Amino acid sequence: MAPPSGLHQSAIPTDFETLPLPLPLPLPGLIRSSTAPVTSNNSITSAAAAAASSRRPDPSSRLLVPGDALVSASASPPRRLGGGFESGGNGSGNESRPRRHRQHKDASRSRSRRRKRFQKLLWVKQSYPDNYTDQATFLENLQRNPRVQPYDFWPLIADSTVILQHVCSVIIFVVCFVGIFQERVSPVSVVGWGSFATFIGWLLWDWWVTQEESHRDSADGAISRVGSMRGPPAFRTRRHDTGGPGLPAALGVSTTSISSTSNFPSAASSTSNLLQPAAHLGQYGGSSTTSVGGLLSPGHAHSKSASSVHSAASQTSLTGSAAGVSRSGTGGGETTRGASRFRDDSPSRGGRVYLRVGTIKSAMLIYFTLLGLSPILKSLTRSTSSDSIWAISFWLLAINIFFFDYSGTWVGVHKVSVASLSTNAALMASTVLASRLPSTGQVFSLTLFSIEVFGLFPVFRRYARHRSWRYHVALTVLLVLGAGAGVGMILGDERGWPWKKGLLGMVVACLISAVAMGGCSWWLIGLQKYKNEIYGPWDPARPIIISRRHWDDE
Amino acid sequence: MAPTYNIAMVSDFFFPQPGGIESHIYQLSTKLRDRGHKVIVVTHAYEGRTGVRYLTNGIKVYHVPFLVIYRSASFPTVFSFFPVFRNIMLRERIDIVHGHASLSSLCHEAIFHARTMGLRTVYTDHSLFGFADAASIMANKLLKFSLSDVDHVICVSHTCKENTVLRASLDPLMVSVIPNAVVAENFKPLHSRPEVSANSFGHNPPPVRQLGPHDTITIVVISRLFYNKGTDLLTAAIPRIIQNHPNTRFIIAGSGPKAIDLEQMIEQNVLQDRVEMLGPVRHEEVRDVMVRGHIYLHPSLTEAFGTVIVEAASCGLYVVCTQVGGIPEVLPSHMTVFAKPEEDDLVAATGKAIAALRANKVRTELFHEQVKTMYSWTNVAMRTERVYNGISGAISEAEFYGYDAANAASWSATRGRSGVQSFALIDRLKRYYGCGIWAGKLFCICVIVDYLLFVFLELWFPREKIDICPDWPRKTINEQKETVKDARSRW
Repeated sequence: MAPPSGLHQSAIPTDFETLPLPLPLPLPGLIRSSTAPVTSNNSITSAAAAAASSRRPDPSSRLLVPGDALVSASASPPRRLGGGFESGGNGSGNESRPRRHRQHKDASRSRSRRRKRFQKLLWVKQSYPDNYTDQATFLENLQRNPRVQPYDFWPLIADSTVILQHVCSVIIFVVCFVGIFQERVSPVSVVGWGSFATFIGWLLWDWWVTQEESHRDSADGAISRVGSMRGPPAFRTRRHDTGGPGLPAALGVSTTSISSTSNFPSAASSTSNLLQPAAHLGQYGGSSTTSVGGLLSPGHAHSKSASSVHSAASQTSLTGSAAGVSRSGTGGGETTRGASRFRDDSPSRGGRVYLRVGTIKSAMLIYFTLLGLSPILKSLTRSTSSDSIWAISFWLLAINIFFFDYSGTWVGVHKVSVASLSTNAALMASTVLASRLPSTGQVFSLTLFSIEVFGLFPVFRRYARHRSWRYHVALTVLLVLGAGAGVGMILGDERGWPWKKGLLGMVVACLISAVAMGGCSWWLIGLQKYKNEIYGPWDPARPIIISRRHWDDE
Repeated sequence: MAPTYNIAMVSDFFFPQPGGIESHIYQLSTKLRDRGHKVIVVTHAYEGRTGVRYLTNGIKVYHVPFLVIYRSASFPTVFSFFPVFRNIMLRERIDIVHGHASLSSLCHEAIFHARTMGLRTVYTDHSLFGFADAASIMANKLLKFSLSDVDHVICVSHTCKENTVLRASLDPLMVSVIPNAVVAENFKPLHSRPEVSANSFGHNPPPVRQLGPHDTITIVVISRLFYNKGTDLLTAAIPRIIQNHPNTRFIIAGSGPKAIDLEQMIEQNVLQDRVEMLGPVRHEEVRDVMVRGHIYLHPSLTEAFGTVIVEAASCGLYVVCTQVGGIPEVLPSHMTVFAKPEEDDLVAATGKAIAALRANKVRTELFHEQVKTMYSWTNVAMRTERVYNGISGAISEAEFYGYDAANAASWSATRGRSGVQSFALIDRLKRYYGCGIWAGKLFCICVIVDYLLFVFLELWFPREKIDICPDWPRKTINEQKETVKDARSRW
């Protein structure tokens, strides 16, 4: 960063006294360094230096200019540092030495004392030249690192588990692909276990949401309707993509909203919430299948704009729809909020059960769409060489990891912010990887599994973390062990006993993750000493506006 | 006899574009002409304004064709400006190149090439920059590059000086603070007394306008309506001020992206009869708007100098302003009420100002004369001339920088800012090399390439072939005595 290096070289008195620079500080004439209070590196103001200099023993001394920080004899006249820092920091040390010998010659020439004090004002006619630099007031308002919060080791470790979780889940996905590709693992078992885990996760989610809703009910008397529309909307998305690729999304949106309005006027009236990915996916369905659209319309109406944005964002139909699936999955309970919002208008239409049925329908829809798509996917990249596919999928997965939303800011069950670039990249990677697989069943399994891993699982992880720290830790440990075991088994040869390799992998994974987390955290903390933020009166002020808070609340 | 110089003002920002820097360059050039110097202005070509032009007072303006990228700042090409720049400098026999504005790449390139050509350089900084964001870091690095080898820097306020010293790692003693000024004649209050009566008659004439307790007080705001001008603060404060003080109204002039917020505020609070929005006003009309009011409200969030509050005070308005940047240095406390950049404090400060005006405690009718004595372009030109004298060795180094600098030529190969600022390539390289680990080497390469370009130009377009253009007849300084006396009185 430019300012720190500039600070070291420029003539700021504080630098020379407090920073451990290779400057000739232990010179005999250094009075200031002995009188100046030893302040910490943070939040030094040069006012401290000025105070120190004003306590200097020589009564005839005038105020110092910053250049005196290097020389600092009692009666050193104003002098310039020009050469010292202009020629680089390394030159300043050498050049300051010969100056010391001249101080005695100039000692008699002290500035006239009759002068008025220098004022930092422009409208006064001052008896000082324009380039006079007043020691007492120059840079007195400089603040360094005023708002820096030091990191603590263990909280940093705890926060880094989120990254670890995601990396591990990506590794698990890759391991599964390699397993399927090398025909070590049957694709059916992968997708079977994956779906089973997803189902368990959904049940857990449902239960948690129910709990939360009941809590809230007791608070504000809201009737909760848990709807996890995971399956159906995404399925419909796909159908929309495959059936009518040219059909503009907006059309679908509009028709849906109309239909939903006719079915459930209440739903249309509650269209304020735009961040409802699960809901808006239903709108595609509404355009193609009215029956489902009718059923699920409570969720439809909220997010016209969100859906259009989404459709614009999904450029590849495959990845786009897949991302849609993930969003719908993330939705899980999103409709709940919608439901609870318009519950006043539309009294219970089956409530949670109704939404559960919707979810199951969506799941079925996804399932069958993927089944139908798999033969197409299988031959998608036949003309591309495998090397390119590995490279592409590597970069896409890297994009997924780097652009994933690790923030974990919990905005509620119903608003799940999904990093769309990350999810899209992951699903694209899974698509191109799946296209390497020889049989339709494998392609289907891998794609479905990728939707579960990259679409639904992050949302579940986030919710689990929100629910309880214990769940989060347990999940992390499970993921690390799983990833380690998977990698161990993949790397081991096929003939050997895989579990031994797996165990070895687990141990290694635990070691690596512990070292990586600890090392990176320690490194980050170590890097904090280079932090040098400079604040002063030149920075734009941050206005404090009270009424804005009221606007935001609305 | 004071030496006179041939000075080239270089900046991207000049007329016909309106603005503070533009008028600064013009006013300074005019006053320098009055002091017997020759001044030319080099800027880039504006639409409909190309070639060479003469302005009033014999100021010659070169509009160099250049690609403009953003808000009339030209595209930074490090070397492409050199041939035409060298031609102009030789043609006009320039001694001192004076660049303006940190966002003007033309200015930085000119300073760079001028040093290669062996000319003295001065740079005037008009703006404040932070250190936090990436754009600022980049801009600061470039500023450091351009200012590594500059002879002297002028800043418009002490805050600006601190900022520039930090940004470009400069020696504070080679940075002078010379404020902007206003043409006080253009900002006279409405009921200004005739000059004669003020001089000959009573020294303490009765206040011109006595405000009764129920007279309407008009608050004027003239600024571009941008975020950094504090329009958000204004939008939040206006309804509360009007609510607290029934007999007040606002006049807001200026345009910008935040105008819509103001309009919304007016409509939400139904203040159409209390707040008047004038839209953009030309600089000549600013005075006519100002004299309609009693209080000038300036809610800016950052400001290097704030010429507009000086103009407002010159028009006899009581100034309420936020205490940011260089603003606290600009006006004496009896003309201003300072507020923190907070909504509450701004409302309170405005209330205080209104109360003071209603109590007739503020002698606003005296402001004009006071401002006139504080800020004048003649004074600015005189102080700038001292900088020119200092860097070209007309006044001794000891006098210019302080006592110790006289025998300083011995202690550094690269220093000697004034008479002995070395133009040797190796010394210049030393200065640039200290700019940073990577940047220093890059800058050195730039300097070497520039020098080679200079040698090439000397061979290809020899100096003898370049015509010397005749000077506009110079003015002779007839007020020289007065000048000397004035200069004595200042230091």
